[in-house]
Amino acid sequence: MVASDFETPHARVDRMEAEGLVSASQAEMLRSSLRGETRTASQQARARGLPGTFLLVAGAVGVSALTTFFVAFSGDAPPEIQNVAEQLNEPGGYGAMNKSLSTILAIALLLVLPLIIWVWLHNSLVGREEKVFEAWADTQSTLQRRADLIPALVETVTRYLGHERETLEGVTAARSASGAEIERVLEALIEANQKSGEALQGLSREALQDEALLARLFAAQSGLSRGITSVLATAEAYPELKSGDQFLELQAQLEGTENRINVARIRFNEAVADYNAAMRRLPGSLVASVGGFQRKAYFRSEEEARDAPELAFD
Amino acid sequence: MRPNWHSTSSGASLKGAAIVGVCLVGLLIAAFLAFANFDFSAALKGRLDASQMVEDSAALLSDEERRHLGLVHELLRDDYAIDYRVVTAPSIADINRFAVERFEALLPGEAGGGGMLLVIDPVTNLVRLEIGYALEGQFPDAFIAYIEQRQMVPFFQANRIADGILAASELVVTRAKRAKAGSGTLGEIWLEGSGGGGATSRARIDEGQDPVTWQGSNVFQPGAMPGVTLAAYFKAMAARNGDPGLPLYSVETKKMLQNWVMTPAQMDGLVAAYRNCQAEPAIFDAMQRLAVLRYPPLERACAPFFFVREGGGWLLDLTMMQRAIRFGRTNAWHFERSINHPYKFAFADWRFDAKGFPQP
Repeated sequence: MVASDFETPHARVDRMEAEGLVSASQAEMLRSSLRGETRTASQQARARGLPGTFLLVAGAVGVSALTTFFVAFSGDAPPEIQNVAEQLNEPGGYGAMNKSLSTILAIALLLVLPLIIWVWLHNSLVGREEKVFEAWADTQSTLQRRADLIPALVETVTRYLGHERETLEGVTAARSASGAEIERVLEALIEANQKSGEALQGLSREALQDEALLARLFAAQSGLSRGITSVLATAEAYPELKSGDQFLELQAQLEGTENRINVARIRFNEAVADYNAAMRRLPGSLVASVGGFQRKAYFRSEEEARDAPELAFD
Repeated sequence: MRPNWHSTSSGASLKGAAIVGVCLVGLLIAAFLAFANFDFSAALKGRLDASQMVEDSAALLSDEERRHLGLVHELLRDDYAIDYRVVTAPSIADINRFAVERFEALLPGEAGGGGMLLVIDPVTNLVRLEIGYALEGQFPDAFIAYIEQRQMVPFFQANRIADGILAASELVVTRAKRAKAGSGTLGEIWLEGSGGGGATSRARIDEGQDPVTWQGSNVFQPGAMPGVTLAAYFKAMAARNGDPGLPLYSVETKKMLQNWVMTPAQMDGLVAAYRNCQAEPAIFDAMQRLAVLRYPPLERACAPFFFVREGGGWLLDLTMMQRAIRFGRTNAWHFERSINHPYKFAFADWRFDAKGFPQP
């Protein structure tokens, strides 16, 4: 049976099991890490922007524009020529009409400006939090993408080993040991993939507030990365396997996904740092406490967390 | 006495009120722009010229090569909206991270989505081609690794850096052309930046060609007719047999190919390019010493093949083909008008334009 270009990871695992490339338990472990129906954090994110923000700002602009219009045209066409001598104010005084205008403007500024600042700070926090969710969705997506590639890697290597056993008449002791080693590494990879899949699935938005949970997920993902590296390194002993276009393609996809995970993780941690800093700064911290914003956890190892410098945001 | 319409103090107050009003409006406009994430730098950014498309900090390229690369990539940008930059730099600590950061710096905003960045580090001996989000569909990681390892690196091994970059650009053009023909667009053009797509490979600069002992070259023998020889040649290419001493080549061709870089991707590309080409019957010269297999003029990507009779069989004269035939911007072939080759007899019934392109 030949793998189709459009074969889904689930169908691949079913076929691998039917062909005897993996045992029933290995197939079950591989299935458990495949893409499920979990909702991403960004899908779960609720809209937190203040209602009517646009109307509020538009209203403020309207008030301001009307006031300016009034100021600009109110003094232009007095009904009759003023007697300046009578109307002249004392030095340092204010014209009666313009004094009232200034008062209106001052009140408008005093009322509208703090409101605008509050709305701006709130929506700025919402925007930053959304970026965190978005970055996390990217991270989850790349982690799942890697998990979906594992069955293909297992199949390619297992199929090659089977092919080598069939074609090499006298398998040397060294070759046999090498074969046993790669099988052991594959077994470890399947286990790591299962752990990684379990840690990844069912993560809710609240998980982003749990530093320990994200550290455990990070550890599971690191285990999977090490598993992939071990398989690729062990495959060095098989030049024919390594130089084949199919393996080159798979290796490129895996390495590309590893790089995407790193990029997504860096961007997620940057988004978290930006959001956490904005939340702790004054007056943002006031808005955050009233708005129910919570600090987000970084996606990093416990060692990285220990070594991370203490940041003084305030 | 001329009437005074305004008192001094009320005038100052009016002016002050107007200033406050203008400030308030300005503040609100600024708030609007902040809400809308208005990108001032993008608005001010102008179009880059060709010489700025290549940054050669590692001094791997001559001025002429840099200029030529810039011009080729400018055409890529004009024809397919792909902004392809090249950066060489020595001793990069982490080429993957460097590529992402440099990508963001050189190709900010939506330009980055349809961007590509080639990074070459001669010290760590690594090369990375970073791909913008919008191009990931047409240029998946596996294809980028293929471009690097099966096309670019063989030239780097011969220390021909610019040729390697250009050879890789040819594959990019071929893929972009196919994508454009298929869907009309190259991808999700609104996507910005890069998410780490692409591939990193060992650059192997100046390591020399891998010692290869070609097996089974004798399987590919010339035929009593040019068509038989050509069929054997396509089979050799499909098997990626880059042996310069293939029995299918003329003596001159074998000499030329001794110093030739023939990459696996070139061989794959040749087979793919001629898969749907239907050759006309062979045309021979009066002495029955030279022959041409040509394709209908409308099949613009299918260049003719030249044969010379040597030792009783028809052998490929790639030397003359290499001198006389050129491929244009759209991958259509044409004759180099300045070359006076002996195979013109086979095209006496065709018309050519001023640039040497055959006219239907």
